[in-house]
Amino acid sequence: MAAERIAIKEGLFAGPLDRLDEVHLAGSRCGACGETSLGATSSCSNCGDESLSPVVLSDAGTLYTYTIVRHRPPGNYQGPADFKPFGLGLIEIDDVIRVMAPLSTDPEQLQIGMQLKFHPYVLRTNEKGEEIVAFTYDAVGE
Amino acid sequence: MSDVYIIGGGMHPFGRFDKSYEQIGSEAAALALQDAGVQWRDIQSAFMARMYLPATSGPRILRKLGSTDISIIDVEAACASGGAALRQAVLAIKSGDVDLALVCGTEKMPRGFMDPSMIYSPWQVELGISQNPSYWAMRAMRHMHEYGTTEDQIAKVAFKNHKNSVHNSYAMYQKEFSMEQILGSTLVCDPIRLLEICAPNDGAAAVVVASEKKMRQLGAKGIRIAGISHSISRYSSDFRCPAESMSATIDNLGPTEVTAQRVYEAAGIGVEDIDCFEVQDTDAFCEIELYEELGLCPVGEGGRLIDSGEVAIGGKTPVNMSGGLISKGEPIGASHLGQVVELVNQLRGNCGPRQVEGAKVALGHVLGAGGNCAITILSR
Repeated sequence: MAAERIAIKEGLFAGPLDRLDEVHLAGSRCGACGETSLGATSSCSNCGDESLSPVVLSDAGTLYTYTIVRHRPPGNYQGPADFKPFGLGLIEIDDVIRVMAPLSTDPEQLQIGMQLKFHPYVLRTNEKGEEIVAFTYDAVGE
Repeated sequence: MSDVYIIGGGMHPFGRFDKSYEQIGSEAAALALQDAGVQWRDIQSAFMARMYLPATSGPRILRKLGSTDISIIDVEAACASGGAALRQAVLAIKSGDVDLALVCGTEKMPRGFMDPSMIYSPWQVELGISQNPSYWAMRAMRHMHEYGTTEDQIAKVAFKNHKNSVHNSYAMYQKEFSMEQILGSTLVCDPIRLLEICAPNDGAAAVVVASEKKMRQLGAKGIRIAGISHSISRYSSDFRCPAESMSATIDNLGPTEVTAQRVYEAAGIGVEDIDCFEVQDTDAFCEIELYEELGLCPVGEGGRLIDSGEVAIGGKTPVNMSGGLISKGEPIGASHLGQVVELVNQLRGNCGPRQVEGAKVALGHVLGAGGNCAITILSR
């Protein structure tokens, strides 16, 4: 039997975690102000209203800005033991939200305005044997 | 309501010391009291700014000066902790509750990147979305893209601040670096390099504040607090919060712009009236963005302002005469009060080779996690 899977943050994803090609980023649209918050949330991050509707965010994104993390991040970082510099970006989706995410593409090839695609993956297995699903963005065409 | 004055200031150097935080903080407090010509037992209320120290740090630090029963509270507002604490003291005096208060900022922090669990969610830490400089670096990348700001211009800010630090015995680094050394230093988060970034460290700074009546009674000559304001960032106005996401539809004013507008209005002072500035140079790019947000130049022109030389000592509007956080380091709770002590000394004309000639009005600014921003304007 396949391992149970859970999202790295509750409510971050829409779709069945055992079929990663059907998983997308989740959002919550506010019925009062129209703003979209990341993930399933109980109140709007702009106005605090609680009349939220779940939305599924598009897998396609555009790189709004980025940096290259050149040194191992502090604390409980779960990236490769043999640290490799990686891109970190703010990715604009559906003209409504910009999401902060690690980028899997070659950091030296990053450019503001480039097209990216959402990519969910299994980061690690926790102490209960559950697989933790995280996300990154790939360059389109990779 | 009467004005509030700073009648004394003191600092423990910023750096790394084999001493307890209680020792570091109480030394700065004692120097401030001595400079003001008052005794610890004369103080009616005290405020301790700190972020990385344990609960009740204020009483633990200040008990070294002697036992007391006055109100002593710890104040935390990330990098703006010192401004938030000073504001509480100003409000306590303006309300008429007290006439004489002590405000101290103290910090003792480990080397390297700050502990991410203080401000990031566990999942962000696991994915490495948790290194403070990366957020500031992303602002720099976008600014370069939109306005053509260059790596050379960013390095010039670091060059200026390191150069200014040579005459500041309170700074952790008191060394000049060449443009080649700065641009050749290791990349931390593109485009920000090691010699363009501030380090967390140890330090303390303190001021004694008094009502006008108390100042006259004491025969002291104070520096007037012309305005003080503290705010956090509006929705989606600053992704250094640190944010999980931002709006692509709402473009709110950033925390520095909001705080500056409030304090300029309250003080009846415009940016054109201010002679010198100490600002949050967490990294060299941040200072460029602050020129724009404080109103020293139009948006997009920050890079050209550093090219012009106007922000150097001897220029029209010197910025970070002390060497800034890039040279001093950033003991978070102490950093704004360190700026205030520097500016008090500038307005007293006590700064030697880094003195801004004839300075009458000065501004201190800090900005950090949560979009916490504080600005203090001082006037002699």
